[in-house]
Amino acid sequence: MFNSSSALNKLSHMASKPQRFRHLAGNTLQGAAVKKPRTLTTNSAASDPNPMKDAFSKYAAYLNDLNDKRERLVKASRDVTMNSKKVIFQVHRISKHNKDEVLEKAEKDLAAVMEQHMSRVVKELQGTDFWKLRRAYTPGVQEYIEAATLCNFCKTGALLNLDEINASLLPLSDPSVEPMQINVLDYLLGLADLTGELMRLAMGRISDGELEFAQKICSFVREIYRELTLIAPKMDDSSDMKSKMDVMLQSVKKIENACFSVHVRGSEYVPFLGSDDTSFSLLGMPEIE
Amino acid sequence: MKSAFRTAICTALTFSLRSLNPTPHRPHLILLSPFIVAFPAKPSPFTSMAGGESGTHAPPSPAVQSLEKQFDEFRHQLQDSGSLRERIRSVSLEIESATRLMQSSLLLIHQSRPIPEVLEKAKGQIDLLKELYSKLAEIMRECPGQYYRYHGDWRSETQTVVSLLAFMHWLETGNLLLHAEAEEKLGLNPSEFGLDIEDYLIGICFMSNDLVRYLLVIYYICPVCEENENELHTLQPRYVVNQVTAGDYDCPRKVLKFLTDLHVAFRMLNLRNDFLRKKFDGMKYDLRRVEEVYYDVKIRGLAANVDSTGEQGEREQS
Repeated sequence: MFNSSSALNKLSHMASKPQRFRHLAGNTLQGAAVKKPRTLTTNSAASDPNPMKDAFSKYAAYLNDLNDKRERLVKASRDVTMNSKKVIFQVHRISKHNKDEVLEKAEKDLAAVMEQHMSRVVKELQGTDFWKLRRAYTPGVQEYIEAATLCNFCKTGALLNLDEINASLLPLSDPSVEPMQINVLDYLLGLADLTGELMRLAMGRISDGELEFAQKICSFVREIYRELTLIAPKMDDSSDMKSKMDVMLQSVKKIENACFSVHVRGSEYVPFLGSDDTSFSLLGMPEIE
Repeated sequence: MKSAFRTAICTALTFSLRSLNPTPHRPHLILLSPFIVAFPAKPSPFTSMAGGESGTHAPPSPAVQSLEKQFDEFRHQLQDSGSLRERIRSVSLEIESATRLMQSSLLLIHQSRPIPEVLEKAKGQIDLLKELYSKLAEIMRECPGQYYRYHGDWRSETQTVVSLLAFMHWLETGNLLLHAEAEEKLGLNPSEFGLDIEDYLIGICFMSNDLVRYLLVIYYICPVCEENENELHTLQPRYVVNQVTAGDYDCPRKVLKFLTDLHVAFRMLNLRNDFLRKKFDGMKYDLRRVEEVYYDVKIRGLAANVDSTGEQGEREQS
């Protein structure tokens, strides 16, 4: 970047100098007796090459580029977040009868997020700065992971692995550059948020009478929570994750409580919602407290 | 009646759990359930722990297995990056202690020791710093492309290093140490382990502070700003004005010119609302201070015997 001083000198002749600066510098120069211990400005004093100014115009260019890039990334990331949220809402529209239809649309939307918005993130990063600009794009990536894993869970009942997500990112990047890959930290942070959505999903399923599905969610969330408790303290900046873990524990408890209570009081739900699961009618004790 | 009810629940639960999951659960887990249900409003960690266990006890399904496998991998990865980070941190600590030594050598300037001698002493640390940075570069070679993942672990140390090097460079040459020169001094290879430009710029802002303090200490006998959090300031030695050589009266002018140039140069940058911006904003106070000193010295015909009223005002502002 700024490695050669010869390049500096070259630039010094090209760079134009704002009047004001010259004026200021000139004033202070004239104001005092000469006696300058300058060693670097060996060029003629008449043309007044100012290595400081030349160098700073390079720094300015660097900072401008970086900030623009960061800004574009933030925008792309915000779009990813927004549209991933829509996918999540779509998944929540699921019910017993429209499952396939709803999930199909969710998946289509998710693919569109990837194509239209994640691709912008990938392009912007152009094989570099994955870590430097991580803060700019991490919210979007986390939300995308949340949406993708939620969709996948509803469809297959399994966790979508990071490798699978990263594989789907590969076609988006230019083959000549290092492909953008989602890092472990963003993936885990996204998973931590997933449990909140799963909690909502479980509540919806329970009130819809899909207890089996709710039970499946319950054990899935527990499994994730258990794994994450082992990993969370090892993460790079674990404070963020720590608070997410607390929220997650609340979600897990909420799902568990709902699942347990519905098992016990199941009979109260069955007649109204027409659950297929006949096992609950065995209880037949409406006066349970 | 109550126990009969419990049995009923247990059977129902056993039944329903079985129907949900073909893999048999351990009976003790099922017996726990009524207990949990009895206190639904007061969830305890016990709840989730019991739940967690059920995952490990039951023979895992392929989905769970792949999940576990993935998390095992993550654990190993994170363990590795954690130990890498520890190594980086230990090098960072060494860098910090080297900069402390440099700082304390440079403080001798305030005791009117000749500048070349002071610089010689402080420069002794540069070789050590070079070595430490090459150590860092070597560690980072193990994880190419992740410079900025661990950047925070050497960031502030590096900023201090830059400020000291730039200060020394100024004492020596009266010029600003440029980014590329700073990299060179530290023996950094920009293509591999470079000096982040923002770190460099922040370091330069720190230097502006140091410079002003240096100036103030030279021209006023008393410690200048004791409330400043920087250690440099608290260790402040008293300077004997009588020992100032005549040539040093030129110092405020030099500093003023230098800082004015630097401030103008910094104004070329479009900064965000971040730390660098804050430091840059502080620079104008440095500049004002220097102007005051310059004025002070000038108005007294470059005399060194400063009366206490002038410096009183100076200190109140600091």
